[in-house]
Amino acid sequence: MEPDMSMETGSMIRIAVLPIGGPIPHQRVREYVSMLSRHTRIDLSSISSFYSEHQKSPFTHQPWESGSLRFKYMVGGAPPSPWEDFQAHRKILAVIGFCHCPASPDLDLVIDQFASVSRGYGSAVAKRLFAFSPNDEQLEEGREKENSIILFPPSDQQAQELHMLTMIQDLAATLLMEFERWVLRAESTGTILKTPLDSQSNLSSEEVIKAKKRRLARAQKTIGDYCLLAGSPVDANAHFVTAIDLARLTGDVFWHAGALEGSVCALLVDRMDERDSLLEEEVKYRYYTVIQLYKRSYLQDNAQRVSTATFELEAQLKLARRFVVKEVVELLMNASDGAKSLIDASDCLILYVEIARLFGALGYQRKAAFFSRQVAQLYLKQDNTSAAISAMQVLSLTSKAYHVQSRGTNRKQHGSLHEPGSNNAESGKINPQSIISLFESQWSTLQMVVLREILMSSVRAGDPLAAWSAAARLLRSFYPLITPAGQSGLASSLANSADRLPSGTRYSDLLMIVLHSFRIHPSQMEIIKRDPAKKDWWTDSAPSGPFIYTPFSKGGTTDSNKQELTWIVGEPVQVLVELANPCAFELMVESIYLCIHSGNFDAFPVSVNLPPNTAKVILLSGIPTKIGPVTIPGCIVHCFGVITEHLFRDVDNLLLGAAQGLVLSDPFRCCGSVKLKNVIVPTISVVPPLPLLVSYVVGGDGTTILYEGEIRDIRIRLTNAGTVPIEQAHISLSGKNQNSVMSIAHETLNSALPLKPGAEVILTVIIKAWKLSLADPDHDPSKSTSGIMRGVSKEGSNPFLVIHYAGPISHTDELSSSEASVPPGRRLVVPLHICVVQGLRFVKARLLSMEIPARISETPAQPVSLNDNSEEITVCSRIDSLVKIDPYRGSWELRLLELELSNPTDVVFDVNVSIQLNISMNDNNLAAVDHDTAEFGCPKTRIDHDCSARVLIPLEHFKLPILDNSLFAKNLLTNSSSSTERNTKAELAASISNLVSKIKVRWQSGRNSSGELNIKDAVQAALQMSVMDILLPDPLTFVFRLMNRRSRTDNIDDASQIKVMYRSSISAHEMIDLEVLIRNNTRELIRMSLSLTCRDVAGDNCIDGNNATVLWAGILTGISLEIPPLQELAHSFSLYFLVPGEYTLLAAAVIDDPNDVLRARARTDSADEPIFCRGSPFRISFSFDVIFNTVSLFKLKHEVRIIIIETKLDVDIVTKVSSEKLLNLFKINTKHCLYIFIKKYNYYDIHFT
Amino acid sequence: MASTACFIIVSRNDIPVYEAELGSAVKKEEAAHQHQFILHAALDIVQDLAWTTSAMFLKAMDRFNELVVSVYVTAGHTRLMLLHDSRNEDAIKSFFQEVHELYLKILLNPLYLPGSRISSSHFDTKVRALARKYL
Repeated sequence: MEPDMSMETGSMIRIAVLPIGGPIPHQRVREYVSMLSRHTRIDLSSISSFYSEHQKSPFTHQPWESGSLRFKYMVGGAPPSPWEDFQAHRKILAVIGFCHCPASPDLDLVIDQFASVSRGYGSAVAKRLFAFSPNDEQLEEGREKENSIILFPPSDQQAQELHMLTMIQDLAATLLMEFERWVLRAESTGTILKTPLDSQSNLSSEEVIKAKKRRLARAQKTIGDYCLLAGSPVDANAHFVTAIDLARLTGDVFWHAGALEGSVCALLVDRMDERDSLLEEEVKYRYYTVIQLYKRSYLQDNAQRVSTATFELEAQLKLARRFVVKEVVELLMNASDGAKSLIDASDCLILYVEIARLFGALGYQRKAAFFSRQVAQLYLKQDNTSAAISAMQVLSLTSKAYHVQSRGTNRKQHGSLHEPGSNNAESGKINPQSIISLFESQWSTLQMVVLREILMSSVRAGDPLAAWSAAARLLRSFYPLITPAGQSGLASSLANSADRLPSGTRYSDLLMIVLHSFRIHPSQMEIIKRDPAKKDWWTDSAPSGPFIYTPFSKGGTTDSNKQELTWIVGEPVQVLVELANPCAFELMVESIYLCIHSGNFDAFPVSVNLPPNTAKVILLSGIPTKIGPVTIPGCIVHCFGVITEHLFRDVDNLLLGAAQGLVLSDPFRCCGSVKLKNVIVPTISVVPPLPLLVSYVVGGDGTTILYEGEIRDIRIRLTNAGTVPIEQAHISLSGKNQNSVMSIAHETLNSALPLKPGAEVILTVIIKAWKLSLADPDHDPSKSTSGIMRGVSKEGSNPFLVIHYAGPISHTDELSSSEASVPPGRRLVVPLHICVVQGLRFVKARLLSMEIPARISETPAQPVSLNDNSEEITVCSRIDSLVKIDPYRGSWELRLLELELSNPTDVVFDVNVSIQLNISMNDNNLAAVDHDTAEFGCPKTRIDHDCSARVLIPLEHFKLPILDNSLFAKNLLTNSSSSTERNTKAELAASISNLVSKIKVRWQSGRNSSGELNIKDAVQAALQMSVMDILLPDPLTFVFRLMNRRSRTDNIDDASQIKVMYRSSISAHEMIDLEVLIRNNTRELIRMSLSLTCRDVAGDNCIDGNNATVLWAGILTGISLEIPPLQELAHSFSLYFLVPGEYTLLAAAVIDDPNDVLRARARTDSADEPIFCRGSPFRISFSFDVIFNTVSLFKLKHEVRIIIIETKLDVDIVTKVSSEKLLNLFKINTKHCLYIFIKKYNYYDIHFT
Repeated sequence: MASTACFIIVSRNDIPVYEAELGSAVKKEEAAHQHQFILHAALDIVQDLAWTTSAMFLKAMDRFNELVVSVYVTAGHTRLMLLHDSRNEDAIKSFFQEVHELYLKILLNPLYLPGSRISSSHFDTKVRALARKYL
């Protein structure tokens, strides 16, 4: 069976075309063959000049005017067919050798070789050897051997073609003459014609006779064949008709069919250009007869050896080819059914090829593909390379029908499909049908089988690229359908083919699946458009108008399509790319980098290792090199030895399909990766270099762990890492807990401007750790024990430093093209990583109030003033050292603020309470207050971990010096108005907070953590009720003072010696002169009546009555006094105590005509109510009758002091001298002195008994 | 039941939306592939044949070796294709008609995108039951 058969084949002269001599370049071969094969039809009229009629031509009806010879070139020759006697056109009737002279210099050798090769074609009646492009020598040489070789001298194309035409016409004439000779000989002598059907050697006699009978018919048929070949269809027809008659008579069915076939051919050649239905019907009818005859000639006993089925099939195919119409399908189906009856595998192959071609011609691509695949399977059954190559080629033909083309071939189509899709996507509606057509996986089973076959054949054929491509396509499209073992098999075949591929092979098939997203600029490098007209260019172009939110202005920025990215020349940028390896083997990506065609970007390759069934997000980076737009269509991946370009767009389509359930599976989802959000490809533009500020927290970038309320300096080093100086910078705060930033050294940064490239500046930020909120999970005491939990800084709660900065407005190397846009500024966000842990906890605050009577002494207790200012010793009782007497009140009303603190942490805290006093308070220049100026410190309290402690804060020195009406002014004017009430309350609150802010509870833990406890609220709550009492002075204050100075301070002349006389008590049985000092604390004159009383320990009045124990002189009751504003008045009186003991003096006054201020202070409502003003009690004690002592103080050196105690009493006394460390009792005899050496700066208590 | 039968529903876009091997013969993967190849090739014939007749059932319109392809073309040009070796046309026709009804039910599902793969296991069970009944 032969390929490419048609009804007209019978009129074609087969010419073998053979390359001779040295190897000819492919290009040349193609050129020469194409030159030949142009001449398939040689008109008889054109060959008449070469034709010479030796004898009378047997072709009596040769159409010299219109007829032609037909050549069929068999390039590479063909093996002789066993059926060539049956059909003359199966013979090779001529041999043309061609040689390329430069490749074969020796023409003799070529001639010899051609002779030997052409000897193999015994049926050839004409032989020609063409030699192309000979050199001059060869031309010379060739002229001598003109008979055996024909040289084509080098010349232009046209001349060569003309030369070739001439040669072919000559050949045609030769052939025609040979045919004539053959026919004449056959007619005269007859020939023996055999077919494989009847070529048995042991013919029986009956058969010999039969054969003899048949011979004539066969000869007639063969002559007819030659007539056909000679281009004389009328002659041929005459012979065929005879042959048919004879064959029918002799029952030679096979030859009958052959003759009939020949007659159809003759008919067609004769009516070459006509195509009428009558002819068609005739041809069809005859061919069906032919097919029937062939079928009849099928001999069962011959079936094993030779079969006529091929002829039947050929006839069917010829018929089908003739009528490429729909009914042919049935014919072809019948033909394909006949395939099984074919013995020779190659016949079957040819049959399928022919069927496939015919189906292809019909437009039945899938049918054609089906039979092509059958062909490929037959090829694959043969175990040699060339068959495998053929199989591969045939399969690649089917790839279109099965939609498994490689990307390279279908990219255009793919792209065009994508375009409408993208348009649809933009308009928001996606036509599902158009998506469906995008996807490869339509007939997945078939596609897999075809791809597998392509892989197998290409592996056998040794085409690594095709193998790679097939394996890659299999893996990429059908990984869910392939078992893990199969996947690793594919992987190894990929690796194998990669080994054999030349390095750097580029291919367009994809292996991996790549998805991408763009990394938004890291906040450190954010770029902000700069408006040169505005000073605060960093502030967003705020919406004008009264509204915070304007829907129109915001619309532009939220539109995702308009997303823009700005990259900067010379600064690395990063793009996030997600790779998925859904396969069951480990994928080694040798390098992957961004593919950018615009040429202004240097991409850095990365090598990735993808474990089985995983997806990885990797950062691909690169540096923009030139200003201009950048587009990133995909990545270039170097994997399994092949460089491929993966386009993001393809994956988008894939995911779109996956979302619709049209693709087998979503590779990203099956790899367990989080689905990336819709990625919008932003427009990227590259701009000239900008300054780049880099921040670094001195001491490490780690989280700073602070206790609540801790104050800490954080030093941030800012470096200009760019190439452009920074000329403007502005720091602002954002984020949560902004209050915790106490100060930022703005000046430091501003003074450092312009910051040259490479320069750095250190910024100090003072931070006070904020208070943990109750909702904070860290607050939970059960969790507070786990230290790890507390160490983690919560990102959300940190404040951020936002630094806006920009370079010079006009860049130096910028052309004067006056670009409207100035180079943008940038924003650096420095997060202050702070982790606040629970520190000292405040439990509660309480106000303790008590009144302690003051002692009456000669002067209001006054610390000892020394003439040497640098030193002082206060010899006083311990309580005096703590409780200082308020000069305005006379007595000490002790108010203490008690704070309870607990320490839940595992470190030790030292708590230090300090009170800041307002110096401006002391406008009256009072020494006692003046002395306590700035701070009052309590001793430090140490709180161990898991302990609680109380801290007492004395509330003193807060009193205002003057009872002013300013405090009540508003209250008095509009008493009932609620608005003023609110005002008053606000003022009150302000004064409380003023007070509270003066109290600072500082703590220290370890060497370097210290802070302040925030107790404001608690203290405020505690003090709310009694703030008036604390703040406001009484209108009148009373102080008692001793007047009689029995024991005076003796000033000794020695300057270095000071005698301080100190009376610890007042002697009884002595008239004591006392003085009461009354001070008016108001700004108005106060008239009043004063009364004084004295009470004993039991609280009984001991002045009046029958058993009064105190005698008195002077006025004690009903003293009318007038005190000018802010002045003191003294009233003297004398007391004589009869009984030693403790007495209490009390002063009280009834104010006449009180004004509103006083009323308000006394909280009285009615104007008639008398205003009492009572002083605090003063205590006088008499312990001994007479104790007279002198304490002398000597300054010897700097280190030691001597106290000399002298007594003038007649009894011995015991002196108790106690300091913090020692306690000594001394006995002083009558009228003796005691010398005590004491150390400097120590306080001593000296008591006498 | 026929020894070999392969049933495929092909959408109007020539994409298979449902595949089932229904034969009682021992299933061989190679054979299954071959069946699909035959059915795929038969689409070419259906494409022409469907417009020449008003009948939905195109009996034995293609064949390869002993296997015959029968097709039922719905109004929406979805093709129910059966590759079989039995010759019981009436049974095949009934099979097609019943499967068509099932397919219509699938189409009525608002969540089913026409042209996408039928993944309903209920459908599969029903089709296999019908195959046991008729083929």
